[in-house]
Amino acid sequence: MEKKEKVSVKICVGTACFVQGGADLLLYQDFLDPVVLAGCDIQGVSCIGGCKDDAMQVRPPYVEIAGQVFGEMTQEKLCKLLQEAIHA
Amino acid sequence: MNDVFIDVDYAQIYKHGQKIGGDVFLLSRQDASAQIVCTLSDGLGSGVKANVLASLTARMAHKLSFSPMDLTHSAKIIMNTLPVCKERKISYATFTIADLRRSNEDEVLVNLVEYDNPSALMFQGSIPIQWERDKIDLRRDGAFKQEVLGHSQFKLSIGSRLLIFSDGVTQAGMGKSLPLGWRLEGVRSFAQKVIERDPDISSHDLAREVVSRAHTLDRLTAKDDITCMVVYVRKPRRTLVVTGPPFKQEQDSLLVDKIQSFEGKRIVSGGTTAQIVSRIMNRQLKVDMSCWSPQVPPCSKMEGLELVTEGMLTLSKVATALEQKRPAYTLPNDAVKKFIQIMQESDQVHFIVGTKINEAHQDPSIPVEIGIRRTLIGRLQRALEDNYLKETSLEYI
Repeated sequence: MEKKEKVSVKICVGTACFVQGGADLLLYQDFLDPVVLAGCDIQGVSCIGGCKDDAMQVRPPYVEIAGQVFGEMTQEKLCKLLQEAIHA
Repeated sequence: MNDVFIDVDYAQIYKHGQKIGGDVFLLSRQDASAQIVCTLSDGLGSGVKANVLASLTARMAHKLSFSPMDLTHSAKIIMNTLPVCKERKISYATFTIADLRRSNEDEVLVNLVEYDNPSALMFQGSIPIQWERDKIDLRRDGAFKQEVLGHSQFKLSIGSRLLIFSDGVTQAGMGKSLPLGWRLEGVRSFAQKVIERDPDISSHDLAREVVSRAHTLDRLTAKDDITCMVVYVRKPRRTLVVTGPPFKQEQDSLLVDKIQSFEGKRIVSGGTTAQIVSRIMNRQLKVDMSCWSPQVPPCSKMEGLELVTEGMLTLSKVATALEQKRPAYTLPNDAVKKFIQIMQESDQVHFIVGTKINEAHQDPSIPVEIGIRRTLIGRLQRALEDNYLKETSLEYI
């Protein structure tokens, strides 16, 4: 069986994201399912740039999952999205 | 920024059983460290009485050396003012005053006044240097002994040191491990060996070494207060702090040039700024997820930079910790701690502040502590200068 590629996840640690809930997301090792953790490559990124993009409809904190930027991220939402992403 | 830094520090151990010292050390800086005056005084006796005498002497000597008054006159005023000891019926305290002024070249002009303290020692690198002193006989009315001041003027160049200590150092071990004590020659050869072993040793560490050695010679029960102060003239350790993107995007490469041409440690504080630097220098920026706390976002790593942090939150926490003089070891292991450690290891800190407004920070739902960058840098500068005696400078881009 071919080894499945890990899902690339980037959590923004910029100021605007960090103070609006991003700090909670950095505890991902505590709240994510180990299976999900194993299937993802999670990194921090100093700024995704969503906060400066007028076209962006959603608010910080932002997380980029497999190239797509999601806003207003919470621990629950991240669990759900990553669960879907690794099974996609 | 100056190309010469004067590192002054001292170490002290009180006489065994005493909770207060009879040796008093004072230091003050004026005009951004262009003039430093340090005074060491040893009062008659020990404990509170000696401390009163020494404090009076040191404080007066200190104040008078900032005035244009003649040296002999100042010394007479001090001696006339000192209270008389009830048992010994004399008033007495020794002192050494070192007035250090930075001259225009890479040299420091020293004006040294010594009264009854052991002679100061000078080293150029690890080589001891002897010099002549002018003797001034005070011939004061009511003096119980001949009072002779030693006065000398000389220059200290980069790499030289001046050691000034009380008789607790030269008499250490007297009657115990050494018949006549450690003596000046003993201190000189010890200091020489320490400097040979560690040519860049800081004033703080060298003073500590001398005092510990004297304490050991006294078999850890000091017979007198042991005090040593060291003046070390050296090249400053510099740190650059870059925060905020330039006002105009065209200046991005100028900012990176400034970072690359800087000699010393480099810190970039700010996510966007770090990304600009990463893009232009073509070096990878990697967030270090192991180093953060709930109040401070993680730091990042980039080749060629000592530290990369988030901007406003980190700087605001750094400013608060510096203002409160919180020691680095009491802080959680995050960007703030690393930032403060680098600040403490520097003599001069240069700030380059980008003036571009961050639209993301204009959002009313963001906490108030994200202040204005310039105000924050002002707080940092004041805290570094007032609490840690660092030299700082600032430029906007």
